[in-house]
Amino acid sequence: MRTLIDKRPAAMDVAALVEPDRVHRSLYTDPAIFDLEVDRIWHKTWIYVGHESQVKEPGQYYATTIGRQPVLLTRHSDGEFYVLYNRCAHKGALVVGDRCGKTKDLRCSYHGWRFDFDGKLLGIPLEHGYDDTRFDRKGPEANMPRAARAESYRGFVFASLNADAPDLKTWLGGAASSIDNMVDRAPEGELEVTGGVMRYEHDSNWKFFVENLNDMMHPMVTHQSSSLTARVVAKKELPADAPVPSAIEIIAPFTESYSFFDDMGVHAFDYGHGFSGGKTSIHAKYSDIPEYNRRMEAAYGSARVAEIMAVNRHNTIFYPSATIKGPIQTMRVVRPVAVDKTIIESWTFRLKGAPDELLHRSILYCNLINSSANLVGPDDQENYRRQQVGLLSESEDWVTMHRDFGKDEEIAPGHFYAKGSSDISFRNQYRAWKRYMCEEGR
Amino acid sequence: MTSALESHHRISQFLFHEARLLDEQRWAEWEKLFLDDGVYWAPATPDQPDPLNHVSIIYENQLLRKVRIARFQSPAAPSLQPFPRTAHLVSNVMIDEDDDGAGSIKVNSRFLMVEYRRGVQRFYGGAYAHDLALRDGALRIRQKKVDLVNCEGPLESSSVWF
Repeated sequence: MRTLIDKRPAAMDVAALVEPDRVHRSLYTDPAIFDLEVDRIWHKTWIYVGHESQVKEPGQYYATTIGRQPVLLTRHSDGEFYVLYNRCAHKGALVVGDRCGKTKDLRCSYHGWRFDFDGKLLGIPLEHGYDDTRFDRKGPEANMPRAARAESYRGFVFASLNADAPDLKTWLGGAASSIDNMVDRAPEGELEVTGGVMRYEHDSNWKFFVENLNDMMHPMVTHQSSSLTARVVAKKELPADAPVPSAIEIIAPFTESYSFFDDMGVHAFDYGHGFSGGKTSIHAKYSDIPEYNRRMEAAYGSARVAEIMAVNRHNTIFYPSATIKGPIQTMRVVRPVAVDKTIIESWTFRLKGAPDELLHRSILYCNLINSSANLVGPDDQENYRRQQVGLLSESEDWVTMHRDFGKDEEIAPGHFYAKGSSDISFRNQYRAWKRYMCEEGR
Repeated sequence: MTSALESHHRISQFLFHEARLLDEQRWAEWEKLFLDDGVYWAPATPDQPDPLNHVSIIYENQLLRKVRIARFQSPAAPSLQPFPRTAHLVSNVMIDEDDDGAGSIKVNSRFLMVEYRRGVQRFYGGAYAHDLALRDGALRIRQKKVDLVNCEGPLESSSVWF
C-alpha cells in the first residue's frame, strides 16, 4: 500500500475526495487512504491518551496507542505526567507489556534497561560496554522519547506527535465547554476514572462511529427494536403508578420523535469538533438524586448549580479520538486499527464528592448502551458494517451530506449551529478532515 | 434426602436443560427458570467484585431480560438478521454448595458457546456460576454469572445470552 500512496499526487487527489456537501466512498474503503489518515491526522493532531486519575501516584503507568504508535501515560516523582513512546532505547521492545500498573522504574523485560517515568535512562547492565562507542548514554537516543506535545485539560490528557500543533485549549475551542460542564457537575470539581473499561471491536471504518454520534436522524429508526421495545415492555410489565426504572429512563429516549432531536440541535466548531444537545438532550429527564442536589448546592450555591444543570449535551466529539457524554459521565475513545476495523473503548467517571448513585447510573448506562452485548449498540454496529460493504458498490462514488446544506447559522465566530436533523456535523468533520489531509502543519 | 449422585445428576440436567432452551430459542421458557428477582450477569473483568460499581458485558434483571426477548422478536433489529444460531456445551459440573434446608445450591461449570451469524462462526467460552434455589420442588435461578475467558475484550457485537 505504501507504493500506492507514494504514486499519488497526494494533496491534489485527496482534496478532490471531499466536497462541501458530499464525500467520496473511498474515504471509508481504501486502505491507502487509511494509511494517509494515520500519518496526517492520527499522528499529527491532538489524540486523547487517558485521564490524569489513571496515573494518580508516581510510578503508575497506562499503556495505549496514538494511531499506530505504542505510548505510555506515566506519573513521575516530580508530580508531572508524561506521554512516552513505549519503546526501549536498546533494541526497540515495548518497555511496558501490559495495560497499566505501578512500578519502581520502567524496566525492559528483554535486557533490563531501566528508565524513569519521564523517559530518562536510569541504567544499563554492564554499562561500560558502551564506553568509547558512538552510543551516548547521556544523549536523547538513550531515553524513551516523549510525545512532541502532551497537555491536560481539566484532567483529560491529550498528546500530539506534532510539535507544531496549536496549544490544546486553542484546539479544543468552543467544544472545551463540554469538558467544563462534565467536570463542574462534580461537587468537588474533579472527575475520577473508575469502573473499568470495555473494548468493543467494530468491523467498520472509524469515521462511521464518529459520524453516527451526532447523526440525529438514525436513533428512531436504528433503535426501534431496543428503545421502542423497552417502552412497550415496561408499560406491560410495570404497574401504572410504579416509578420508571433507571434502565428504562436511559433506553426509552433513543426513540424520541424527530422534532425532539431537531430541537436538541447540533453545534460545530473548527478542527471537526462538535456536540448535539445543549439546553436539552436524551439525558435531560433522568430522575433527581436529592442527595446529589444537596451536595451541589452546598458546593456551588443554587444560582451556579442552576447554570451548570441548564447545560445538557448529548455527545461531544473532540475530533477524531475522544467523545464524551457529560450529563451521564461516560466517554468513548476511538482507536483505529485498519480501514475496516476500529476499537471503541468505553470509560466511566465518578463525580468526586457525589453520592454513589451517580456512578451506578453511569455504569448502568455503559452496560446498556456501550457494551458489546448491549441492547442498542449492535444495531448501530451492523449499520456501519452494512455501509462498509455497501460502499464497495461502484454504482455511485459519492456519499451525500446535503441535508440542510447552506442553512448553518454562525452564532459566534467559528461556532456554527443547525437543527438536529441537519448534516452539519458530517460536513464540519470532513472540512477538518480535508484540512488535515491536505494542508501542511495542521 | 437425595443422594449426592442423584443430586449431581439432577442439577447437571437442569444446566443442560437451560442451555438447550437457549439453543432452541425458547426464550420465554428460559426466562421462567429465573426467580422473579433473578439476575443474569456477565462481568467485564475477571474477579469483578460487584455489578454496580464496575461495567459489565451484561447485567440484567427480569425486566431487561424481557426487553431483550422482545427485541429478539422485533422485525426491526438489523443485527439480528439473520438470527444467530448457537450450540452451548456445558461441562465440568461441580456442586460447590448444596444446602437442602436453605434451598441454596451453588454450581460451577465450564461452557463453550459456538455462535453462527452472518457467515461467521464465533466461539465464546468460560465459567458458569449458577446460584440456584429450590421453589416448590423445582430448581430456579437466583443468579447466573458468566465469566468469559476473554471478558476484557476486545469483543465483537453479540446479542444472545452466553
